[in-house]
Amino acid sequence: MSKKVLIVDDDPDVRMFNSTVVEENGYIPVEASNGEEALQIIEKEPPAIVLLDVLMPKQSGIRLYRILKTDKSLVDIPVIILSGVAKRTFLRSQKALTEFGDKPVPEPENYLEKPVEPDELAKEIKRFLG
Amino acid sequence: MEIKKLLFVTRFDKLRFDALQSLMDLKKAALNHVVFLNVIEREKVAMRRGTGYEKGAEIKLREKANIRFIDWAETLFEQGMEVGVYIVVGSFAAQVIQAAEKETVDLIVLSPEKKGRFEQLYSGSDITEIVHRSATPVLVYKYLFRKGPLAENPFEKPLLATNWSSASRRAVDYLKSLKAVIQEVDIVHVASEKDLKEKSAMGIQKTRKENRKKLEALCDDLEDEGITAKPHVYIGETVPEIEKAARECRSSMIIAGSPGKRSWTNRWGTSISKGLAEQSIFPILLIPPAEG
Repeated sequence: MSKKVLIVDDDPDVRMFNSTVVEENGYIPVEASNGEEALQIIEKEPPAIVLLDVLMPKQSGIRLYRILKTDKSLVDIPVIILSGVAKRTFLRSQKALTEFGDKPVPEPENYLEKPVEPDELAKEIKRFLG
Repeated sequence: MEIKKLLFVTRFDKLRFDALQSLMDLKKAALNHVVFLNVIEREKVAMRRGTGYEKGAEIKLREKANIRFIDWAETLFEQGMEVGVYIVVGSFAAQVIQAAEKETVDLIVLSPEKKGRFEQLYSGSDITEIVHRSATPVLVYKYLFRKGPLAENPFEKPLLATNWSSASRRAVDYLKSLKAVIQEVDIVHVASEKDLKEKSAMGIQKTRKENRKKLEALCDDLEDEGITAKPHVYIGETVPEIEKAARECRSSMIIAGSPGKRSWTNRWGTSISKGLAEQSIFPILLIPPAEG
């Protein structure tokens, strides 16, 4: 059975673009428009990988990433960040949250700054899912 | 009544990032989440004869807003804040209310009215509509230039205008939740001149004494919470007198109760909150009464 790829992004055009890349490479895309919605999907049925945007309504990718990487049952799900927010900011934000009393978290499996070429995205997904 | 999450509504001209940063003192109280909202008004992308819906214009406006928001969000994320964003096309007031409800924010921050008086006559005031339709307090942010080009901390020295209504009482509770950022509060009650016309000097002084006593009780209530508070009684027309009090007290903002949803019978009505939002030079925080 094909592996599921969870695409988390508030922009419907980006979700459609990523879903097409995922589908064309033989995986099943599952979509969420914010961190809150994504967490509900993950808790119900964990995907094989998460493509995560950072700046979204309801719950940002920064918080969702932290939840994924501090929950023992979810920590092994690879996360590729796909965002317009710089990687340096993402890492600093995680550090800031750690300073505010949360646990430190590992870096994401990969960080791709938008816009991303379809081949580059496909290559990254295949690297983790085969 | 804590401010944990605020909705920052901007068109990027009157309300900039320095205005938002001036509100970051609220982190000392409870603020940990900022949601940005940019409403692309329909007329900018609307159907036009020969061109139809201008999708290209919408994309351009969306991306311009997105670039600004990413830049702002990067700064806030690095401060450990949670940040969200909405860039939507539609009617301004409706989109603000919708985003506030979706995100269950504790405060809406927006700039003064963009519409001119003539425009307001036929399409109404957006601020009035938001204040009356939303159960969330609204801060109409205005820049003060006392110390320099940057916006100051508006919560530093607020002036609370009370008319003893339930919204005014709620405003007092709101102030208590902000004690970590407030240095001093001036509380003012404006007694109407009309009510004093027939009275003797003794009668006028009696009115002042009665109101002063109620104000002192409010001050004691706030001082018990560790907030320094001073009472003031003014006589005259409400909006100009509140404005006068704010200038005399060198206030950083004006806080007032706004009429509840049910009291909204006339959108062109001249309520105190509408008058303050439109006429005052100060940032105005409008607190609606509790729901139910």
